[in-house]
Amino acid sequence: MLKKSMWYSILTIACVGFIVLSIGFYQAIIVTTAVNPPPSAEAEVPQTSPDSTKLPSKDANSFRVLILGDSVAKGTGDEKSKGFSSYLPDYFKKNTPKDILVENAGIDGLDSIGLLEQLQSQKLAKTITDSDFILVSIGGNDIRSILTLNNLAKDDQFKVRLDSYLGNLKQTIKALRASNPNSIVIFLGLYNPYAKANGIEDTRLLNTWNYNTQLLVEEDGKAIFIPTSDLLKFNLGRYIAKDGLHPNSAGYQALSNRISKSVEMIITGS
Amino acid sequence: MMKLFSLIENEVIKMVFKKRLIFVFAILIVLISVFAYGQNKTLERTKAQLTHRMGITATDDWRKLANQQLIDMKNRLDSPYSDETRKASTQVRMEQLQYNLDQNINPLEQSAAKFTTKFMEQAIFLFLPLLIIMLSADMVSGECSSGTIKLILVRNVPRWKVLLSKYLTLMLLEVIVVFLAFVIAAIISGFFFGFGGWLAPVATGFKVLVGKLDTTGVLNVPQWQYSLMVYSLAYFVAFVVGSISFMISVLVKSTAASIGIIMSTLVAGNFISFFLSDWKITRYMFMVNLRLTDYLSGSFQPIEGMNMLFSITVLLGWAIASIIVSFVYFTKQDILV
Repeated sequence: MLKKSMWYSILTIACVGFIVLSIGFYQAIIVTTAVNPPPSAEAEVPQTSPDSTKLPSKDANSFRVLILGDSVAKGTGDEKSKGFSSYLPDYFKKNTPKDILVENAGIDGLDSIGLLEQLQSQKLAKTITDSDFILVSIGGNDIRSILTLNNLAKDDQFKVRLDSYLGNLKQTIKALRASNPNSIVIFLGLYNPYAKANGIEDTRLLNTWNYNTQLLVEEDGKAIFIPTSDLLKFNLGRYIAKDGLHPNSAGYQALSNRISKSVEMIITGS
Repeated sequence: MMKLFSLIENEVIKMVFKKRLIFVFAILIVLISVFAYGQNKTLERTKAQLTHRMGITATDDWRKLANQQLIDMKNRLDSPYSDETRKASTQVRMEQLQYNLDQNINPLEQSAAKFTTKFMEQAIFLFLPLLIIMLSADMVSGECSSGTIKLILVRNVPRWKVLLSKYLTLMLLEVIVVFLAFVIAAIISGFFFGFGGWLAPVATGFKVLVGKLDTTGVLNVPQWQYSLMVYSLAYFVAFVVGSISFMISVLVKSTAASIGIIMSTLVAGNFISFFLSDWKITRYMFMVNLRLTDYLSGSFQPIEGMNMLFSITVLLGWAIASIIVSFVYFTKQDILV
């Protein structure tokens, strides 16, 4: 009797299970193979062409600012969703009656090789040619992941990343200058958003990174390196957003203010 | 027909009384308990690390962080420079965050549903096949070594029917093993992480287009449905491995040799693709195609020419070939015990 009931219960579970599993198997195949319309290559063309022609052609009554780089360039972290694109014009306006036109091409998570590829794709070539100021923020995503390593591995990895970053940066500046030899390039330094990671070792690495960046950037006569780590070091609570990584609205305003001060003469003078 | 039915019944009862199913049951309980305990420890350590590194209590502050991420992703979608191909995955991620916020679920936390799915995703390429081998490897060879095969074959039943009853029994027990794995994982992890989480959205729908991971078709499905798909694929893998080891058990007379052959093949398969990644023929081996769930989760390394349909076709080919070889060999061979 026990045998019989056991056999029937096993049989029932197996049959029901088999049917349910077959349905699941069918779904699994559908979900991984179902054909959706492939993204057409043409979709990109109409998308980018308005971008490069959106700004009116170059004239003497306006400044054009192009913002390039990672999430900081884009304005990620600003609870008001503004970022540099809207604070920079605000501060620039104090010194000039001209219009300020901003184009923001920042992409979250972009690293130095990504920026280089973006420039080499030539999609932005016209925008770059028309710009008077080019704000660049890059490098944070190159270096961020080494923070979790132990000190020994960190040192090695740091050297590797720094070298490849500097190589990319060099090419990037070259590409920018190929399109536009006259614009002012404003390069933002890195800061350390982590309150807990401010040991001697981490600070040394950050400074090495920024120092090498500054050396390279300012080899170009019309480029300026704007440090950010000093401004944020003791003000993390005030200037860093809830995500613990990006600046918040106040942070972007403080940085925009600093940038506008650095190029004040250029704006008023011309 | 009735005869086949009672033959299967006989085989199943034999299997249960050989205590094989009890062993499988016990192994599942012990291992799943260990895994769940380990997961629990890892979770605690991750939280501690996050708190230490970020300087914020990542465990308490997650709502603000999630809100911030939501805003950022919305901006990203609106930006004209955002990558078209990433839009679908961003949207899917937003849906998940929104769900977490609505239901007040910290995305860091584990749940029984997540664990149960993860467990099978990890078990599908080695652990589950080994359990199946425990059942299948001596189904025929065991009868040969103990000599009982003679007693079966002298009865008035055609040989193919004897083998078919054994094979159907195996398929039946495979369902039971997958079912047991699911139930045990769900219950044990429930005690550690709480029994919920079956409705949470999970991203799936990744595809491979010309050797690259394509995320344009990504969509969210509820966790229970995702789990069902994972366990269905697991059953398919069990069916394939079961068929192959059944064939070996028919071909080889000794149980130990039969278990040894199929086990070493499986274990070798786990690193053969690692050593021979340039060698195209490896992808026609069944061992490298067992990780079917990776196609669901999009966590695979895209290899030119390999996708869900390819893997399933290869596996099915192996299973059908094994079944044919088993039946032809078993009905033709001389049995001299």
